Amino acid sequence: MSTLTLRQEPPERLDFLHVTPLSLSGLSEAEAARLPVGTSRRGLTLGDCFTIALDKSEDLVIEGGSSRLDRVGASLDGGTIRVVGDVGQRLGAGMRSGSVTVTGSAGPFAASGATGGTITIEGDAGDHAGGAVYAAKAGLDGATLIIKGAAGDHLGDRMRRGLILVGTAGAHAGSRMIAGTIAAGSVGDHPGFGMRRGTLLTGGVGTLTPSFVATGTHDLVFLRLLARSLRPLSPAHADLAAGALTRYSGDLATLGKGELWVSAA
Amino acid sequence: MAAWVKGGATDADSAVDAAATLLAAARTPLVAGLCAELSAVRAAYHLADAIGATVDPAAGQSLYAELGSLSRTGAMLTTPAETTGRADAILIVGNAPWDRPIVQEIAESAPTRGRAAGTERTLLSLGGPRNGATRHVAYPAEAGGLAVSVAHLRAYLKGHLAGETAYGDLARRLAAAQYGVVLYDAAELGELGVEMLQGMVKDLNEVTRFFTLPVSDPYQGRALLQLAAWTTGQAPRVGFGRHVPEHDPWRFDGARQIAAGEVDAALWLASLPAPRPDWLGTLPAIAIVGEGSPEATGDAAEIVIAVGVPGESAGGALWNDRRATITYAPPIGQPAELTAAGVLGAIQDRLVQKKAASC
Repeated sequence: MSTLTLRQEPPERLDFLHVTPLSLSGLSEAEAARLPVGTSRRGLTLGDCFTIALDKSEDLVIEGGSSRLDRVGASLDGGTIRVVGDVGQRLGAGMRSGSVTVTGSAGPFAASGATGGTITIEGDAGDHAGGAVYAAKAGLDGATLIIKGAAGDHLGDRMRRGLILVGTAGAHAGSRMIAGTIAAGSVGDHPGFGMRRGTLLTGGVGTLTPSFVATGTHDLVFLRLLARSLRPLSPAHADLAAGALTRYSGDLATLGKGELWVSAA
Repeated sequence: MAAWVKGGATDADSAVDAAATLLAAARTPLVAGLCAELSAVRAAYHLADAIGATVDPAAGQSLYAELGSLSRTGAMLTTPAETTGRADAILIVGNAPWDRPIVQEIAESAPTRGRAAGTERTLLSLGGPRNGATRHVAYPAEAGGLAVSVAHLRAYLKGHLAGETAYGDLARRLAAAQYGVVLYDAAELGELGVEMLQGMVKDLNEVTRFFTLPVSDPYQGRALLQLAAWTTGQAPRVGFGRHVPEHDPWRFDGARQIAAGEVDAALWLASLPAPRPDWLGTLPAIAIVGEGSPEATGDAAEIVIAVGVPGESAGGALWNDRRATITYAPPIGQPAELTAAGVLGAIQDRLVQKKAASC
């Protein structure tokens, strides 16, 4: 297991796009120390900020996180990354496979454009978790994003595929959603704003937009399949899917093929 | 007096020297505001490139509400001249557009060109003021705000909702127009609302001709956007820290950067009136502001340089709202001693001299 230990809070934002188990596996510790990670003219390198211990394994641990660590696990294609602490924006963005775990909280745009693998945030996530970055066609695109704490606003904005499990989410969860599934303990106001397709499952909801309409309570095979698929990841969310639910259809301002399932309990 | 350093009046040369010293020592400087004539904005981008700064204009919020939607889904746009000449139905969304002169112009004219020529013009309002100053048909906004209201209206237009409701009536009026235009303010409507509105107008174009006319922001954002595009190939919020212009609207949001303690020096450029940022007096900062403005005092920032105001005491290329393009505004009075572009160029020259001296 390779380890990077943060010496102190970075003086500027750091970009970890090129710091992955795969990229480090072919480098000596001296070579890894020269990897540029700074974002200012000072040209900070990995060795300026971290103590480095490499063993060429597929597992990387970053000890001591910071909200200034951007793009941790971005474009990851295999292996695991575990961050003991916080991370900045775009955690696991564009990731294809492997797993990333953060014991603290993550900044905005976590798992944006991720097509595979699992991203777990044990604390809270910022706005646009699983959402699309500027000018991107899609947010989460096939990966699994698990947020054990609270997510900010615009969770799963323009999400196209994949699964998001979250404790609670802010306003506009699932906005402009193209497809995919979000399961949440609760969501804020106006969930699914502009959603075309996709499924939002929640224990509680804030104000609904008037372009969502209730379509009754149903006992569907789909819900039992959903509960079964959620149980290994989160029994609480599986229980939610297995309970009594009210269905809302929307967003009728767009295609209207999305569905919002709200606990009827 | 045209310049101050740490509250004391000084000459412009000393202020430029102090500004260059401050910026040369900065690790992560910010160039903000950019509410100025284009020559000054161009000089600010070149200076930002030279010092590895991030750039965020005062018009950022408004611009990105528009760009976020435009970059993903496109837009159906028209010009003020086409609107006054052709439109038989105008929908004004929100409160902000009502302050613009074009509303009165629209209200006092009728379509003279195209398929709606000779017909009467209908002025419709969604969530706007109901003061009766201009004759129009008003529809109240939803409690959830303008974006939710537009979504509700669009559901009626698509036929997914039906009934004798206010929004159903508004939807019928819009669909019956021969040439319709929606007037809105992107900052007021927000990115989600703008995208929903543009989607609605595209839906309307299935049955008639319909366009949008977003009102411009008051901080030269439209002119700046074009300059940013031809200078960096990107939208305005960029960072030059890694020697190439990187675009990231979240990372280079100046207010966020300052709140997170990521900026150690800032340059505020506002030769035209712009809201004074609260960090100006608390961060090591240089303020290049219009002479006679409230910020042209020694206590506004660590270094303050007063320059000519474009269109008043200096000439400059500015956004022309009426013509929807960039035009030259000549000075109408005695030209000022300093111009913003000249001061920024002098700071950059001084930085080059300092760098050469240190080698």
